[in-house]
Amino acid sequence: MNKKRNEQGEEGLGRELEGLLAFVPPPKAPAWFAAKTLARLRAEKREKRGGWLRIPHWRWLAAGLGVALLLVGILRPDRASLQISDAEVYAALNALVQEDEESRWWAGL
Amino acid sequence: MGIGHEERRDEDLMAQIATGDEEAFRQLIERHQDRVYGTVAKMLGGTGPDVEELAQEIFLRVWRAAPKYQVKAKFTTWLMTITRNLVFTFFESKGRKREELHEIPETEDDFAEGKGGCWKRTPADELSGKELLAAIARACAELPKAQRMVVHLRQYEGMEFEEISQVMGMSLTAAKALMFRARENLRDKLSGYFGASN
Repeated sequence: MNKKRNEQGEEGLGRELEGLLAFVPPPKAPAWFAAKTLARLRAEKREKRGGWLRIPHWRWLAAGLGVALLLVGILRPDRASLQISDAEVYAALNALVQEDEESRWWAGL
Repeated sequence: MGIGHEERRDEDLMAQIATGDEEAFRQLIERHQDRVYGTVAKMLGGTGPDVEELAQEIFLRVWRAAPKYQVKAKFTTWLMTITRNLVFTFFESKGRKREELHEIPETEDDFAEGKGGCWKRTPADELSGKELLAAIARACAELPKAQRMVVHLRQYEGMEFEEISQVMGMSLTAAKALMFRARENLRDKLSGYFGASN
């Protein structure tokens, strides 16, 4: 391989630099590398499989609860009954006035 | 571009991996782990947890990409392209200079302890001294990352420029220009040691 590159002259590193760099070859992978990579793969698979079903995903629960409350608020069926008619307001005022008058009568005022 | 026997077997393994075959994946890792690990280590300037984690991530990318893998080039070219992408992304995400990633061994004791990671005691240590190895390591580590990658692919992986250009995602001319600049940089830094390897 080196001979082939050297024959290409200046396109490569050149004989002298190649000779120097040959002193420091790249390190080899540690013996456990394949085993650790496979272990990491399996761990990722497990995480992916259980990701949706496992409950530590409290964020999903919180988000679901929030959405449910929002929907209830929007779709509340008796929303129209929040409106109070004029007659109901006058009736309430009359009741207050009447109660006040009774209080005054009992107090002898 | 011819595809040799080993590449065909790599492709067979990839087809098996695409079906979820972990045994095929293990074989592929064992076949290419030194290439990938060595490349990452050279690019990061030594060994360490970052190197191992990044090399693992490269193989996990291979696993994930297997269902979509198409034979367009040599498997090793594709593998080195993934390696280059992840290593360069690593540099960008860390946002720090390579010198900060791993210490470049400075002293003879560092070499003796293998602190630089790339080093093994060889007869060259006795012939030309550890100082030479330190100078080579420093010169390589100080190259810009693209130049370092091109030098590595050429010097240690024995790739042709056509393959290098594919891995680097650039034209043939650009790849040769990178090599030219790398050679000039290395010559500047190592000119005093020429002849030491003879």
